[in-house]
Amino acid sequence: MSSGQKKRNFQIEAFKHKVVVDPKYAEKTWKVLEHAIHEIYNHNASGLSFEELYRDDHLVMSFDYLITPVGFVFSGRRFCCGSRNAYNMVLHKYGEKLYSGLVSTMTFHLQTMSKSIEAAHGGSFLEELNSKWSDHNKALQMIRDILMYMDRTFIPSTHKTPVHELGLNLWRDNVVHSDKIQTRLLNMILELILRERTGEVINRGLMRNIIKMLMDLGASVYQEDFEKPFLDVSADFYRVESQEFIECSDCGDYLKKAEQRLNEEIERVSHYLDVKSEAKITNVVEKEMIANHMLGLVHMENSGLVKMLLDDKFEDLGRMYNLFRRVPNGLSTIRDVMTSHIRDTGKQLVTDPEKSKNPVEFVECLLEKRDKYDKIISLAFGNDKTFQNALNSSFEYFINLNPRSPEYISLFVDDKLRKGLKGVKEEDIELILDKVMMLFRYLQEKDVFEKYYKQHLAKRLLSGKTVSDDAERSLIVKLKTECGYQFTSKLEGMFTDMKTSQDTMQGFYTTYGAELANGPTLVVQVLTTGSWPTQTSVTCNLPSEMLALCEKFRSYYLGTHTGRRLSWQTNMGTADLRATFGNGQKYELNVSTYQMCVLMLFNGADSLSYREIEQATEIPSSDLKRCLQSLACVKGKNVLRKEPMSKDIAEDDGFSVNDKFTSKLRKVKIGTVVAQKESEPEKQETRQRVEEDRKPQIEAAVVRIMKSRRVLDHNNIIAEVTKQLQSRFLANPGEIKKRIESLIERDFLERDNADRRLYRYLA
Amino acid sequence: MNKLGRGQRDKVQQFMSITGSSEKVAVQALKASDWQFEGAFDIFYSHSHAKSAADTRHLEELYNRYKDPYADMILVDGITLLCNDLQVDPQDIVMLVVSWHMKAATMCEFSKQEFITGLQSLGIDSMDKLKERIPFMRSELKDEQKFREIYNYAFGWAKEKGQKSLALDTAIGMWQLLFAEKQWPLVDHWCQFLQARHNKAISRDTWSQLLEFARIVDPALSNYDPEGAWPYLIDEFVDYLTEHGIIQKGKLNDWSYKL
Repeated sequence: MSSGQKKRNFQIEAFKHKVVVDPKYAEKTWKVLEHAIHEIYNHNASGLSFEELYRDDHLVMSFDYLITPVGFVFSGRRFCCGSRNAYNMVLHKYGEKLYSGLVSTMTFHLQTMSKSIEAAHGGSFLEELNSKWSDHNKALQMIRDILMYMDRTFIPSTHKTPVHELGLNLWRDNVVHSDKIQTRLLNMILELILRERTGEVINRGLMRNIIKMLMDLGASVYQEDFEKPFLDVSADFYRVESQEFIECSDCGDYLKKAEQRLNEEIERVSHYLDVKSEAKITNVVEKEMIANHMLGLVHMENSGLVKMLLDDKFEDLGRMYNLFRRVPNGLSTIRDVMTSHIRDTGKQLVTDPEKSKNPVEFVECLLEKRDKYDKIISLAFGNDKTFQNALNSSFEYFINLNPRSPEYISLFVDDKLRKGLKGVKEEDIELILDKVMMLFRYLQEKDVFEKYYKQHLAKRLLSGKTVSDDAERSLIVKLKTECGYQFTSKLEGMFTDMKTSQDTMQGFYTTYGAELANGPTLVVQVLTTGSWPTQTSVTCNLPSEMLALCEKFRSYYLGTHTGRRLSWQTNMGTADLRATFGNGQKYELNVSTYQMCVLMLFNGADSLSYREIEQATEIPSSDLKRCLQSLACVKGKNVLRKEPMSKDIAEDDGFSVNDKFTSKLRKVKIGTVVAQKESEPEKQETRQRVEEDRKPQIEAAVVRIMKSRRVLDHNNIIAEVTKQLQSRFLANPGEIKKRIESLIERDFLERDNADRRLYRYLA
Repeated sequence: MNKLGRGQRDKVQQFMSITGSSEKVAVQALKASDWQFEGAFDIFYSHSHAKSAADTRHLEELYNRYKDPYADMILVDGITLLCNDLQVDPQDIVMLVVSWHMKAATMCEFSKQEFITGLQSLGIDSMDKLKERIPFMRSELKDEQKFREIYNYAFGWAKEKGQKSLALDTAIGMWQLLFAEKQWPLVDHWCQFLQARHNKAISRDTWSQLLEFARIVDPALSNYDPEGAWPYLIDEFVDYLTEHGIIQKGKLNDWSYKL
């Protein structure tokens, strides 16, 4: 064959010569082929090149004639067309013979190989198997090439197994499945894997080849002869190992080991197993090492999930998360334990009387807790949303266990806005406020928070004690975003009033500035009733100097705002007094309005009895007593002297100026109006007011719902009303019922005649 | 009478004793109404409606007998006299039924209109006839539907004019009266509860719902549904009963059960 011819296209020429089919010739030709096959197998070990045989035209051509008198030209040979009938005839007569010959010859060689493998000792068993497999493959390839024509014509038409596949099947049947080899092979493989698992180094290349051999023999061989038993044995292995580990390791260590084993198995697969086995073996490890011991691990004393949470063991927690998410219910187990832990510790926190003593500390503890778990969820739990939700619902649960939570959160904000945020950068202020909003969202009784916030804000604004106007406004905006315009409209009204008052004062002094230059200076804040927390007006006689000034302001104000009514809130407000004491000391005293009224009396008298003071000032007795106590009984602030020197104020006590008063500071502050945690009676009062405010809200909701639905049954109306009011407070079904009855009484609703559980809207 | 069965004969007797009619009329009425009392009564009394305008004069006379000297109404004295004539105690519950028939607006008084129109609608123009009707009126209390109407009517009748609610004392008195008829075992506890815990007037809704409560819920509260849209006061009553051990585990421990 010349190379030039190889490149020529196929040519079809007429069949030139007749078919000569001579059985004797056929037999002879077969013998040659048989010999060739032998040679192939036998020369395998010596590594002879078979190019020569392959190129033996004689051999090939004779074979050619044997199978098909119609010679196909391949790589430059001739194509001839011939009669189909003759072709078939030959095919059936000699193709059969060829095929069965091939089978028997190959089988003979495979059996020889088999015996050789069986005879191998110990470790060399696998090597021998591998080597013979390699030989067989090479041989098979050559045989296939030689018999390619048979493969493409005879075999398809007779539906026989193609040569390559035949070769594999014969190898399988005669070698791999031979009695003396099958079990031994499996056991050897499993033993090697076991050794590797116990830390030995094995010949991975050899394993890869052996396993690949099984894969090549077909999925069912791989699975039946290796994978299934492998998985069973692995399961047993890990079952035992996990039991041992769990008895002697703590949770963190166990998880490390489990993770290690998992990684090992994955690596093993990548090196010498079928990639499809990865999922199966990891399932086994997951089941035996993790799923079966999940609860034991999580609840392990002194090292389980709770301890990890308490000690912020991010790495261990992360490992637990990653391992447990592989098994069913893994994550929900972690989540449930975490949730009940947070609920328990949270409940302890909010019901601890010690913590409740200091509201600011109380809230700081809450924030700390929230930060802690936020960090855990983001660092260890991959910001898993379901864990976020569990955290939120836990907080919502325990924060509302303490009915004073709304008040305390407001006090925390108050503290921060008064002084806590002094010098803090703007971004940090925003951070703190956002965290407060987070806690706010958990509150069920948002209307209680509103009430306290209003009270505290009023005090802050009126005493001028707010650290940052921007911070105040920022928080209001956040509240508005969360709760809607209605929530904050009154709060905003308070800010407006402050600003308007400033303008009013400017106008007042522009008009009367000259006149009033010599008298006391007045600063008025005009508060719109309704925007500010309700105050009862109290009696109080102002000193004459102030009275005149106040009246002047009143007429000025009403001059520009007809139709309004002004009432002085003497229970609020401060005054700066310049005091000269008998010992010559001069001080500037900052006092409350009440205190001012009392002190000014001593300009006209050296000593006064309690009753005289009461009569002159007309201040309510409980307030007056407190006021006198702050002026006479507090060390360092006792500008008055009381006779007798007891701590309580009695009706017969006498008061005089304390000429011996001294203080380190020139400016002495005596009365401060700081937002305090409410006393018990005050708390009751606030709660009562909140309950009263809720009644019209409930009624409005009922009417709204009934107006649109016209007819609704009892349970549904309770559910709807509760839902509508949810953003402000948790409505009590008993209270809703009372409101409904009140509405029936006032002919807004009626009961249905037939079904007493149905309510009907009356237009 | 010989052709009638025992049951039918009993009915005839009953009918006669209630309406004061003759045997013949009784049989006629019962036959015509297929032996149902309701229908028979209707038939019997509607016949009485075929009276002429002469009755109005009777009624005027009757009215004048009882009318108050200073007002154009029958007031307390007149009613006392009326009850005497009827030989009925003024506190007798049947007077409530009479008032109901007359559609009287307020207790202890009848307007002229109420008196005359009321008697006319009953087909009565003399005290004797009214007296005869009394047993029938008593029987009306036994009828479930009519009792409910009378009970609910009683609220408006017993309360002060111009008031929306019924004063507690009056309410208690009425309940005692009404539930003596209806036989509700919890009535005394209810009244005690109200005096101890509530001490305020009774709303119309509470009044009407109480009857339903007495009707529907059994005295041991075994089928009381807390979500059953009962008025708040009734829920509180149930709490009161459990608190005081009167109802324990669905049993009524009533030491003062009136028989």
